[in-house]
Amino acid sequence: MEFFNWTNNQLDLPTVLAMVIGAVIVLAFTLGFVTYAIYFERKIIGWMQWRIGPNRVGPLGLFQTIADVLKLLLKEDVVPAKADKVLFVIAPIIAFVPSFMVLAVIPFTSQHYFTAMSNVGILYYIALSATTILGVLLGGWASNNKYALIGGMRSAAQMIAYEVPLAMSMLGVILLAGSMNFVEIVEAQQNFPYVWYIVPQFLGFCIFLISATAELNRTPFDLPEAESELVAGYFVEYTGFRFAFYMLAEYVYVLAMSAIAVILFFGGWSGPFLPDWLWFALKVSAFVFFFFWVRASMPRIRTDQLLSFAWKVLIPLSLLNLVLTAVVKALT
Amino acid sequence: MMFGFLNGFKVTFNQMFKKKVTLQYPDVMPDFGDRFRGVHKFSPEKCIVCNQCARICPTSCISLSGNRKEDKKLHIETYDINFEICILCDLCTEVCPTEAIQMTDKFELATYNRVDLYKNIYWLDENRRLDEGITEQNAHGADVSGGDK
Repeated sequence: MEFFNWTNNQLDLPTVLAMVIGAVIVLAFTLGFVTYAIYFERKIIGWMQWRIGPNRVGPLGLFQTIADVLKLLLKEDVVPAKADKVLFVIAPIIAFVPSFMVLAVIPFTSQHYFTAMSNVGILYYIALSATTILGVLLGGWASNNKYALIGGMRSAAQMIAYEVPLAMSMLGVILLAGSMNFVEIVEAQQNFPYVWYIVPQFLGFCIFLISATAELNRTPFDLPEAESELVAGYFVEYTGFRFAFYMLAEYVYVLAMSAIAVILFFGGWSGPFLPDWLWFALKVSAFVFFFFWVRASMPRIRTDQLLSFAWKVLIPLSLLNLVLTAVVKALT
Repeated sequence: MMFGFLNGFKVTFNQMFKKKVTLQYPDVMPDFGDRFRGVHKFSPEKCIVCNQCARICPTSCISLSGNRKEDKKLHIETYDINFEICILCDLCTEVCPTEAIQMTDKFELATYNRVDLYKNIYWLDENRRLDEGITEQNAHGADVSGGDK
């Protein structure tokens, strides 16, 4: 396993080989996660609605997502007649690649396997989330469809508006930990005063949670992809595996955002008895369950309410959080 | 204050542990009431060939013919219902004075060719025997072929 700890090695051939193999392993794990995240989302939302989710395909319905993905891959590849072909083809790729690149900086265990331990981890993360917005906007524009364009514009406006409170809620944690490196943030939570950052940063945590749900375009902020309102919004013209790319990007972001929430506010991998990767997995699973729970419980918010909520409520609150944290840090 | 919506979260969480209402069709058949409007069943001995069912049918899917026997009463000879156009509206059952034509709770009518949907008197009588438990169902259920058109 030391083969996959490349943070202190030189950049020679064995290290590059380790990085490539590590990337493939993380990709395989991510795809497995997405498959069963979709399955569990359908099951959990079903249970919350007094029905059972998928249970026919395979034992307990476990092969349902595989059957769905197989169906999507076998569909005809339709490019609309007057659509911009180049942009139409690369828009899903631009949306998906940053979501997978973000997983490079997330520490899964305390032995730094599969992670880059970058000193600007948070900045890298915020920058790549912004790149996904480009993919969304391009998808809406390149479809040559006014509904797709409206959906893309709304989605881009929402995601950009909620990037600001997201970044500022992370700033409170950075002030307390003194570093933008995810590994050092987790280690700082293990020192005095031995509380996870959710306790001093509770307001920041609430802002982070709301902004994260809006960044992921999930209910209650899922107006851009609302089936009943915009006929699937910005990916209305996408069929088959291009649609699968957008779905994949969304679920990989769910994984990335839950991992960030766990690292910043819940102590990452730290915990008493179990191995650290197991604690990380349990905490991330709890967060992902929370996202599904919110989806089953809340109605959708309108676009104008959404944007005014971001600008008039979340940004002042996150500024307040930042000022309070700075004052407390200066006094101690 | 404004956190009333959090009660919704408690409700959805508790609903995860309640009994589910899903019916595992086709392993479990739904339990309909007595007045469910499914495929018809016909009793030829009760029919007095009054032609009311054919007159009231909104899509004219019933066609029948009878003849007068020695006891000066009309007896039914042929009775066909075309299930391609029958809308299962139950008017023929309402208007029949002797309750010769009634509806069962069998609703699975899908077949691969149109001939099977033109049910004649033999099939409808057989359906009655199956529904009232006079005959046992054989391996593939009631005889689906409706006879020739």
